[in-house]
Amino acid sequence: MKILIIFLQIFILYIFSFIGTVIHNFFHLVIPGSIIALILLFICLCLKIVPVKWIENGAGFLLSILMLFFIPTTVGIMNYPSLLSFQGALLVLAVLLSTIISIAIAGKVGQFFEKKAQKRKDDKECSKFSSHSA
Amino acid sequence: MQQILLAFCMILLTVVTYFVMTRIYKRYSYPYLTPVLTATAFIIMILLVFHIPYKSYMIGGQWISSLLGPSVVALAYPLYKQRHFIINHLFTILGGVLVGTISGMVSVGLLAKIFGINHTLILSIIPKSLTTPVAIEVARGLGGNASMAIVGVMIAGIFGVIAAPTIFKLMRIHSPIGRGIALGSTSHAIGTSKAAEYSELTFSMSSVTMALCAIIGSFIGPIVVWLFQI
Repeated sequence: MKILIIFLQIFILYIFSFIGTVIHNFFHLVIPGSIIALILLFICLCLKIVPVKWIENGAGFLLSILMLFFIPTTVGIMNYPSLLSFQGALLVLAVLLSTIISIAIAGKVGQFFEKKAQKRKDDKECSKFSSHSA
Repeated sequence: MQQILLAFCMILLTVVTYFVMTRIYKRYSYPYLTPVLTATAFIIMILLVFHIPYKSYMIGGQWISSLLGPSVVALAYPLYKQRHFIINHLFTILGGVLVGTISGMVSVGLLAKIFGINHTLILSIIPKSLTTPVAIEVARGLGGNASMAIVGVMIAGIFGVIAAPTIFKLMRIHSPIGRGIALGSTSHAIGTSKAAEYSELTFSMSSVTMALCAIIGSFIGPIVVWLFQI
């Protein structure tokens, strides 16, 4: 019974993904169809057009074995032996350096924003408190 | 008939390999034992040994790949579950996501350009900090190659997790929110599983950041390519 429910819910997600692809092709958008479908589903969930119950098991199941779905595409690197060349090494180096840079920047900026938001909240509470005492 | 049999065998090979590698990863949780990595290596070895070309493998493989679309859509579910968390930290999350996505894409694009890497390859690694299913689609949309995009994503994910603790120490990033944003926006799902080791807040922050980066990244990717003439 549970398998059937999961199956049906994946089918619902399929329909959304299909609608997203249709929108993508129809308007010639650069944004991938599945992302359009993601946003669409999120809006439908928030507006309660689609109850969470309709998709939660299927979505949970798909996300729990998500890694399986990109293995076939990854296997495709067997057609690119050039990855083991000098160019390939440079490519890896570029990704490594960029990862270090973006972790440092994102972490620092995130921390900065957090402190700022915290301060704003504190200020608000302070002013609330002072207006109370006044 | 033979084709159907081959397709079935390839699907079976992929699924079984995946579950065995997941088992191994659960027992020995080193980042470089990520199932995608080990399973891919194993399957490539099998294909090479039996002289099966990638095209024949994909007769079966495409059925598994076809579930990628619905799985990206499924990301709406965790995002919806954490909507209150997002609204509570809206300013911090959006700021962090924007800065993280832009810095990742611009830096890898410029570095690759300086190194003189060929055009298609650069386009493939631009979305390297997005979660894999989205990175595949974004790379295709930009004119890159999907397999290469995954290589970039995997390197960014695994190396990010290995390097993050040192970077946090050197840059004095102590806040759970800052750490979560850094891990989620550069190392996507692999980073998010690392974030779970820090704290609950770091984990939620990282998973929300990852999902939002996927959405925002697919908008920003084309803009970065256009702005920097990559």
